[in-house]
Amino acid sequence: MEVVNQRSALLSNYEVLTLLKELESDHLAKTRTALRIKKEEEAAGLPRSHAPQEEVLENLRTIEVEAIQYLTADYQPTSRQSDASITQLTRNLAHYDLAKAEKLQIVNLAPTEAVELYVIVEELEDRLGDKMQDILNTVQASLSDTASLEGQADAEDQEMYHEQPAQLAFSAEDVEGWVDDHDFVHEEGNLEDAIGDVDEDAE
Amino acid sequence: MFVLSIIKDTVAVHPQHFGLPPEQAITNELNKKYANKVLHDVGLCICVFDISEAGEGKVRYGDGFLWYKVSFRLVVFRPFASEVIVAKVKSSDEDGIRLSVGFFDDIYIPVMWLPEPCAFDPNERAHFWLPGSEAKTAHELLDSATDDRMYIDANEIVRVRVEADEFYDDEPGPPKATDGVQQLHLENRRAPYTITCSIAEQGLGPVAWWKQAEVETMDES
Repeated sequence: MEVVNQRSALLSNYEVLTLLKELESDHLAKTRTALRIKKEEEAAGLPRSHAPQEEVLENLRTIEVEAIQYLTADYQPTSRQSDASITQLTRNLAHYDLAKAEKLQIVNLAPTEAVELYVIVEELEDRLGDKMQDILNTVQASLSDTASLEGQADAEDQEMYHEQPAQLAFSAEDVEGWVDDHDFVHEEGNLEDAIGDVDEDAE
Repeated sequence: MFVLSIIKDTVAVHPQHFGLPPEQAITNELNKKYANKVLHDVGLCICVFDISEAGEGKVRYGDGFLWYKVSFRLVVFRPFASEVIVAKVKSSDEDGIRLSVGFFDDIYIPVMWLPEPCAFDPNERAHFWLPGSEAKTAHELLDSATDDRMYIDANEIVRVRVEADEFYDDEPGPPKATDGVQQLHLENRRAPYTITCSIAEQGLGPVAWWKQAEVETMDES
């Protein structure tokens, strides 16, 4: 195993959630089909087939379910966001002099109060001054009031997601400048051990 | 919070999965290997994002597996330093507060990064903040009226700033011949990946504290 780039791009919470939901629905669909086939075969009185069943990936399921739970919790803005609204928000935020990492956090946390924005943006008053309220309004506008349209919006989102998967991905270089002198250097020796015994099958 | 990491690896696909489309079989193998595991100096792996490159499957002498050389992108949980995230309080003790984001719970706020003045109430098993108080020592703080204290209770949602993260690689290594037969597991194994956070700043801490707060409070500090 070799890590080529630890941080090739940043992902917003919403993107991760979309990806995980897709995995989840794939998994559900597969389980359902498997069940249906099994029932049909039983009904037709066929002997039990030995068609290989796809194994359930325990670790993946665990993290998938737990991460979806966290990302859809009611204190997260994701339920009021949609693909289109985030694209619009990032476009609007481009007018302000914000670092990539700051924009990413605004998308992730959707601050609607000045206090929240102070935490995200460094030296907010000096840099933006009176534009602060504009940003808050922009963020507020990007959040839909109810989650009722979620269902139908979701179907569209997933299609869009396929077309432009990395459209929202923030480039990593900007962040590394921002995250000053954070040590990103990796030691390959340790990496080999990091996931322990599962790695021994590499050539 | 989440990043994409590019990783190269060699994966083996078992003959029983030859029925699947190769990309699906490879993705499954990669997810089995990486999902929900901590990669040293990379972060907590969530799942495969996509496969960018895969060589032709080769059969080696000795087994029936198809071996693929792949280069793929992985979704990894690794908040960067100074990022603000939202988490839930899991527990508190004298040394600080432990937080959880559901899928990961080795997130700590040490006492030094709690807002001043702050003290731990052993009766409530929670830290509290006493804004605007003159009291310095924990003893004086514990004399204060309970109504004035702003507690950070378990299960409260807090907004925190990531200050540092640390990786530990505690693989035990080969057993030493001189140590005899039985080796006891003496030390508690450290978590492979821990994140240290701070709430010692205006706007951080329990989300409820700042819900209706005015900007004026910022200027006072």
